[in-house]
Amino acid sequence: MAKSFVVIRLMLGVLPLLATAVAHADDPLDGELEIRSAYAVPSRGVIMLSARVAYPRSPLLSGTLKDGVTLSLDLECVVSRHRRFWLDAEAVNLVRHSELSYQVVADRYLVREVDAGTQETFATLEAALAHVGTVEEWPIAVEAMLPSDEEWQIALRAGVRRGHMPDALRALMFWSDAWHRTSEWYTWTLVR
Amino acid sequence: MDTRALKRWGLRGLIVLGCGAGVWALLLLAHGAENSADFNRRQPWILLLNSCAVLALGVLLTRKLWQLYRDFRNHVPGSRLTARTVGMFGTLVVVPLLIVYLFALEFLNYGIDSWFRIEIKHGLNDALMLSRSALDLRLHEQARRTEEIARAIAGLSGPELAVRLDATRRTTPGAAITVYDSAGRVLSLSGGPGAALPPAPSAGVLMQIAAGRDYVSLETPGNGRAQIVTASPLARAAGVPPGRFVLVDYAVPTELSRLADAVQSAYSNYGDMSAARRPLKISFMLTLTLVLLITMLAAVYGAVWSAQRLTRPVKDLIAGTRAVGKGDFGTRLPLPSRDEMGFLVHSFNDMTKRLRRSREEAALSRQAVERERERLAVILSRLSSGVLVVDAQLQLRSANDAAGVILGSDLASRVGQGLTDGVATNSLLAGFTAALRARLASGEREWREQLPLKDEADPRVLLWAGTPLPDDGPEAGLVIVFDDVTALLNAQRSAAWGEVARRLAHEIKNPLTPIQLSAEQLRRALLRGLDTEHARILERATHTIVQQVDAIKQMVDAFSEYARAPEVQLARFSLNQLAAEMVELYRLQDPGVEISVELDPQLGEVEADRGRVRQILANLLSNAIEALAGVTGAAISVRTRWVLAAPAAQAEITVSDNGPGFREDILSRAFDPYVTSKARGTGLGLAIVRRIVEEHGGRISAENLVTGGARVRILLPASVERRAESRRERA
Repeated sequence: MAKSFVVIRLMLGVLPLLATAVAHADDPLDGELEIRSAYAVPSRGVIMLSARVAYPRSPLLSGTLKDGVTLSLDLECVVSRHRRFWLDAEAVNLVRHSELSYQVVADRYLVREVDAGTQETFATLEAALAHVGTVEEWPIAVEAMLPSDEEWQIALRAGVRRGHMPDALRALMFWSDAWHRTSEWYTWTLVR
Repeated sequence: MDTRALKRWGLRGLIVLGCGAGVWALLLLAHGAENSADFNRRQPWILLLNSCAVLALGVLLTRKLWQLYRDFRNHVPGSRLTARTVGMFGTLVVVPLLIVYLFALEFLNYGIDSWFRIEIKHGLNDALMLSRSALDLRLHEQARRTEEIARAIAGLSGPELAVRLDATRRTTPGAAITVYDSAGRVLSLSGGPGAALPPAPSAGVLMQIAAGRDYVSLETPGNGRAQIVTASPLARAAGVPPGRFVLVDYAVPTELSRLADAVQSAYSNYGDMSAARRPLKISFMLTLTLVLLITMLAAVYGAVWSAQRLTRPVKDLIAGTRAVGKGDFGTRLPLPSRDEMGFLVHSFNDMTKRLRRSREEAALSRQAVERERERLAVILSRLSSGVLVVDAQLQLRSANDAAGVILGSDLASRVGQGLTDGVATNSLLAGFTAALRARLASGEREWREQLPLKDEADPRVLLWAGTPLPDDGPEAGLVIVFDDVTALLNAQRSAAWGEVARRLAHEIKNPLTPIQLSAEQLRRALLRGLDTEHARILERATHTIVQQVDAIKQMVDAFSEYARAPEVQLARFSLNQLAAEMVELYRLQDPGVEISVELDPQLGEVEADRGRVRQILANLLSNAIEALAGVTGAAISVRTRWVLAAPAAQAEITVSDNGPGFREDILSRAFDPYVTSKARGTGLGLAIVRRIVEEHGGRISAENLVTGGARVRILLPASVERRAESRRERA
């Protein structure tokens, strides 16, 4: 009985230590990650979103990319209507997936738009991040979906995930957020 | 709902919550593994649910262990066995788990490290270098070729340029040649006017050309085939306008492109995995630790639960045994199963059932014995004979009421005490105890004889018999049965004396009259013829004869009176009134004697023969006055009292004087006929008094007072019924 208690106590002591060690390690994803600006305008019946996103830039990130790590860059957009006594009504929930990797054979940075299936290479990391951080006219909703007599809130946030890890392995890392970062929500009211 | 029910429902809720949280977390985890986008959103829920599961399990286990500890401290039956079983089960569960855990950790570390062995890294780098070398060679070759093309077409323009480009493309298979101006506009292309326009040159190409440098790059446009993009300015030749450049796309051979893709893919995968190496290790460790923790908590909880379930029948048995030890034979234990434990519990239940039946039978027997004892006690209490049970040390075990009455002591309150304790104040009991001790000392265990008990006021004669109790060993107790035969003996003696008196009166009185007549006739006949001297002698002799005959007649009359036993004429009268009349009569008769009287007002009427009671008082007063002859300050005290003593209410009459008292040698026989201390007494006065008292069922005693004088005490039953009871008691 006493032995089992000692073991449990030791384990309970080990868990926070491990978590602390993980949390305090230098990470390539550390750094600025925010939505700098964003706006949405209707264009021929479609709500088009444009934004500027600042992704982390550091030598550590560059080194990580050159070590073969792929970065997943997600841009999540939610359009919702506020309800006073109930949960907000969500009309749109979109995620735009991009990937940034370093082509070690060609010595170039590759940006791949996952959803569109296009890709583009860049000689420098800055050029690649600037490209991926510039969103122009992203169609997020048909105007008819969002009745104009109601006030619609648009929320945008960016996320960076490290590695092309198999999902099964990622499931094991459910306890840790060290492999991904998420920006704060950038919200504004749709004006038409 | 009471607190117990609330606790029970709370416990069930906690179990459901823990299980539900665990299952839900598992489902979320599985779903998250399939959908990366959802995984981020569900991650906090997964953590929360796992925490809930661990917390619920921890609370359940803590509760179980606390309950176990509390039972152990309070020495609850079976708690030590449960604790020992839990410890054993816990050790059996925890130790293998820990061993597996430690080995798993080690294998985990080794396994993950083996993915990133240095040889693999070196091999990958070598493959990369090889790929790069191969591609660099091709890049340099293509760059040089593009430079040659640029030099060859530097001075051309228009159709001439187009023709040359077609010719060049034919000699350079797989290449697409395009000439741009400084703004990136197409001037000419190898495919001719009908060819599709190539995409605009990238900013990198334009920047390099603007700087006057060649551009070469290996690009992967996304169609699975790599291509070498080269550009070279045409301005190096004389007469060529600045800013124009030629851009040539060379298709990389398929095999080379595939190999390069393979190397890139392997490198990328290795990089991803390598980057996840440390967090993956920690993840595996934490996941393993979490699984171990949950497993261990569940296992220990299961061990506690199993131990409690296993030891519950034993605990029930212990509790049942204690209950049986306290006399609760109604204990029935629930049958846990049909195994050996069930057999044991069944045997226990059977035992308690038999014990209960035996106890009920014993209770019935005890009740029967008690009833018999009560019956015997009633019989003994109604017996006129005294019955005593003593042990070898003369400890009184039992005594009936008659024994106490006969011996004049409250023996019921002395049961359990020594019979000899405190006998100094009771001469009857002292004499009885002394005689009994003498019997025991002589070793005689069985006897039957008379036992005279000396008592100044009330001597008794007992007929007693002793016999040892059966089956009581050498130190066996004795049962002593005795009767007060004093009255019987007195009656026998009185009867004998009455017969003597009757014969004396019959035999003696008849010749007395002729004697007296003869003596008087002799005197009358001879007196005249005798001289003075002889006449005086004759006169004196005949007078003596006549006088003595009269005396003998009186004596014979007294005997006749004693022997005569007239029928008692009972009537109710006031004894106080009779006593007062008698005292007043004797006061007048002898004023020299102070006669005081003390009458109990509570003494009502008694049922007796008034004439004979008067005779009693007259005899006693006469005796007292005669005894007081010559005594200065002679005083007689007559006292009546109502005595509420068992077995019947009695009237007590006491006549005492301050005379010389009874002589010691006749005190015990004062009421026998012919016993007197007076010179001229017949000795029949007190005998007649005793006879009358006994005819009334009463009791008489005489004693000398310490202050001087004598006292006669008479107890008469107040009524016929009580007299009969008194006679029964005395019989």
